[in-house]
Amino acid sequence: MKLSYLCTSQISTSRLCGAVLLLLLCVYAFATPLLSAQDAASQNLSQILSLPGGNSWFGTDHFGRDMWVRLADALRLSLSMAALCVLTSAVIGVTLGILAATGPSWVDRTLDGVTTLILALPGLVLVLIFAAIVPGSFWMLYVAISLIQWIEYFRVTRAITQRIARSPEVQSSRLMGFGALYLFRRHYWPAIAPQLVTLASFGAASAILMMASLGFVYVGIQPPLAELGLMIVEHFPYYSDAPWLLAQPLIALALVVLSCHLLGGKKAS
Amino acid sequence: MRLRDLLLKRLLQLLAVSWGVGTLTFILMRALPGDMAYRIAAGRYGMDAVDSDAAALVREELGLDQGAWSTYWSWLGDLLQWNLGNSLVSGQPVSESLWHMLGHSLLLAGAGILLAALIAIPLGLASAHHGGWLNRILLTLSTGMRALPVFVIGLLAVVVFALELNLLPVAGFGTPAHLVLPALTLGLSLAAIANRVVHTEAERVFNAPFYEFAQTKGLSAWQAFLRHGVRNMSVPVVAFFGVQLITVVEGVVMIESLFSWPGIGHGLAHAIFARDIPLIQGAALMMGILFVLLNTLVDLACYWLDPRGGQLA
Amino acid sequence: MSLISVDKLAVFVGDTCLLEPISFTLNAGEKLTILGQTGSGKSLLAQAIMGNLPKGLRTEGEIRLFNSPASAKSRRELWGRRLSMLPQEPWNALNPLMSAKAQLAETYHRVRGDAYDAAQQNADYTLELQGLGESRHKRVDQLSGGMAQRVAIACAMAGGAPLLLADEPTKGLDVNRRDQVVEQLISQSQTGALVTITHDVAVARQTGGRLMVIKSGELIEHGDASQILNNPQRAFTRELIAADPQSWPTPERQPRPETSVLMETESLAIGRGEQTLAKDLSFKIHRGEVIGVVGDSGCGKSTLGDTLLGLQPSYGGKIKRHCSETTHRWQKLYQDPTAAVSHAVSLGTLLNDTIKRHRIDKSRVAPLMKRLGLAEALLERRADSVSGGELQRFCMLRALLLDPVFLFADEPTSRLDPITAQSVSQLLVDVARETNCAVMLVSHDPHLIEKRCDRVVRI
Repeated sequence: MKLSYLCTSQISTSRLCGAVLLLLLCVYAFATPLLSAQDAASQNLSQILSLPGGNSWFGTDHFGRDMWVRLADALRLSLSMAALCVLTSAVIGVTLGILAATGPSWVDRTLDGVTTLILALPGLVLVLIFAAIVPGSFWMLYVAISLIQWIEYFRVTRAITQRIARSPEVQSSRLMGFGALYLFRRHYWPAIAPQLVTLASFGAASAILMMASLGFVYVGIQPPLAELGLMIVEHFPYYSDAPWLLAQPLIALALVVLSCHLLGGKKAS
Repeated sequence: MRLRDLLLKRLLQLLAVSWGVGTLTFILMRALPGDMAYRIAAGRYGMDAVDSDAAALVREELGLDQGAWSTYWSWLGDLLQWNLGNSLVSGQPVSESLWHMLGHSLLLAGAGILLAALIAIPLGLASAHHGGWLNRILLTLSTGMRALPVFVIGLLAVVVFALELNLLPVAGFGTPAHLVLPALTLGLSLAAIANRVVHTEAERVFNAPFYEFAQTKGLSAWQAFLRHGVRNMSVPVVAFFGVQLITVVEGVVMIESLFSWPGIGHGLAHAIFARDIPLIQGAALMMGILFVLLNTLVDLACYWLDPRGGQLA
Repeated sequence: MSLISVDKLAVFVGDTCLLEPISFTLNAGEKLTILGQTGSGKSLLAQAIMGNLPKGLRTEGEIRLFNSPASAKSRRELWGRRLSMLPQEPWNALNPLMSAKAQLAETYHRVRGDAYDAAQQNADYTLELQGLGESRHKRVDQLSGGMAQRVAIACAMAGGAPLLLADEPTKGLDVNRRDQVVEQLISQSQTGALVTITHDVAVARQTGGRLMVIKSGELIEHGDASQILNNPQRAFTRELIAADPQSWPTPERQPRPETSVLMETESLAIGRGEQTLAKDLSFKIHRGEVIGVVGDSGCGKSTLGDTLLGLQPSYGGKIKRHCSETTHRWQKLYQDPTAAVSHAVSLGTLLNDTIKRHRIDKSRVAPLMKRLGLAEALLERRADSVSGGELQRFCMLRALLLDPVFLFADEPTSRLDPITAQSVSQLLVDVARETNCAVMLVSHDPHLIEKRCDRVVRI
């Protein structure tokens, strides 16, 4: 009894750490453009690859652009993408999941077919092709990532709802004359909600990774916009002259993904 | 799910992959901005050699001068006959380059998976058996590793082993030494997740009543592990490997691009960058087919390991 | 020669004592039964003797096995060969991926040391003897609970251990199966010694030998089984015995006043999935009547209820409802009350939901709660923080507020401890009579049905 209590409290500590870290990153990403007069795109070729400190806290890149501002820009882009994708895919996935589990069987069969089709192609390949159709488009990436991610919410929601729909608690509430809305409010939603936090956290992390991966192979967001994956490639040639320049987007990317993973807690496979 | 239904589902996926890839690349072709034919021709023959005749030739080759629907059907028809056309950049038949790339990709994937298994299985078992500090260290390491995208792991490996220590080549292919860093990168990124899965499943089996009963009825710890542990652990681990196949394929794309490893992933990323549509289609198709086939293999393995025919992925 | 001698054995977690010091000695041919309610720490005793207590628990006192002191390591050597333990839940204790025969044969081969072929033959022979010849190649998911229990017992005995520990060997079994298992244990213990740990008075009665009664880790009474069971000295023992349905007072049967027919079935067939479970069920249910439903596990008792309530289609025949009452006046009580209510909100909220939905007069709640022995404070808690007995009575409260004409009670007391089960089942019957609600009571215990019901439907 004591042991299990310890474990749960440990897990919640790590989730708390994740939440705090994510909050700090959000504050940095979204508050910086409000507080700083600097522009992420303004170049200063007389001050390239300058060390952190002094005028610019994180130094400047190979075009003399301020890294503090650029990094905030890149993070803001990643976090916005993650938030949009999570929101869209969660709403679609949960709604369809409940429909599939409680609705007529042809709905379930149809949706099962649709997910089978989408899952036939590895996610990254699908996103790559979408990205190729409209190069450098934020919205195309958003559509492609959401198209893949709603399936996870759908499957989890459908599995939970199916299990609960067959359970005595729902049968009992039905016998007592309660309707569909009540079943959702008192039975389905309370079981789905805790899983959603985990799904959303891991979904956010994978959206951010997906976008950075695309940036890294040069088919995602296009320069001069600041994007984490793109920055990593751009800074790699200056690795020996200015290692901190390469380290910054690497660390930022790792931190934001780590914070999501921690927030998500233990992933139920 | 019964085996027949399962194979049927995979067959359906195979068709879906072909249709999906074909349709998407068709849309891609139609959506090309500006006079693509001209640019592609420039890519093929060099800027100086391009004239309107060359552009017309390319336009004809891509069917850009015909109606959308008839082009679409002939496009899909070609695809189903494995008639993938020629690369717009190199001019070589796509299917030929694909076979060449496939060998490299399979080599990388196989080496990476093997490395991952060699790392993850012993570590997962040890941390489940020993628990305590070993488990905490591995958990921390795995969590940290999972926060790093696979190309970052690769990049760090390049910096440490190639640029700083000068032990291995930065990129390229040809000698076994070239394989080490890409395979290590893939192996590490897979092992970061896999060792936790092995750990969880091993822990579940070690604490299962049937495992305890196997020992109280008189089997030694080692006999109990071999006869009652291994198979029960492998069922969910292999099933999870099916889920991880996505990570393998995505890892292969990123790692090949990073290390200029001439596999399908590298080909795909390159083709997208160069807007080489036939090659995009071929590479994506090959990846999809490979993905579905590997999934089928995992299904069959699960089916063989678990005669209950339980719920498969 | 004493096979086992336990001297002041106690189990602790940290400084908290979970099992108070206990001492006993068993010689060859002797039997000891340890009787107590679930959660009274008696399972820890078996694990302490075996030496496989969960991590974090420690023992004090001394255990001597076969006349030599037992250390953790020396006991590991004895497992299967000299000392064996029957698992609590056999369907969890057998390897889910291996056939029954393979698991038994490997024990003969690797533990008793039979040659491979001899082990296979012995396994076949033993399974045949246990009436499992047909099922030898089945895995545990294809065996019934009773069959799995027999396989597990055979495995535990296969090493030829003279000292056998049986921890709740009859949990979850029907009465018939229970008797079979107990008989098997007794016959196995003729030459060795048997320690049985159980909450079931009937098992203690059947096993005989010596008896120890334990209440929350503390030894209450100790002596000859038949003597204690027939003439208990302590109040707790008396309560425990009285709670066994067999010892319940037989109700005085007054002829029931003729009431109108509520529902009748005509050669009803029921089934689940592709399987028809029972056919030709024809009976009438009168208002206010209490009808018992009995039958072996898996015969379709629960399915009958679901079919009568219209929760699933009938597989033939007719169901006629002779009243026009709305559907929510046909209610059901579940075996596991914790699975039958939402855990998301407090019980009070759930109660208010019901009151609002059916515009029930709120003044009816307080007296009914009093009648069911439910405290007002209970409503502030959630389902997971009240006891099973309280939750089942809460379920009854919700059902009764809807003025039911028919209540299908599916093993409503089988998850409750015997003392609570007695009062809850009595309450159910009483309240149903008072409100003229017909009750169909399902139970695997024929004594319970006999003591509570007006008549019986057998499937």
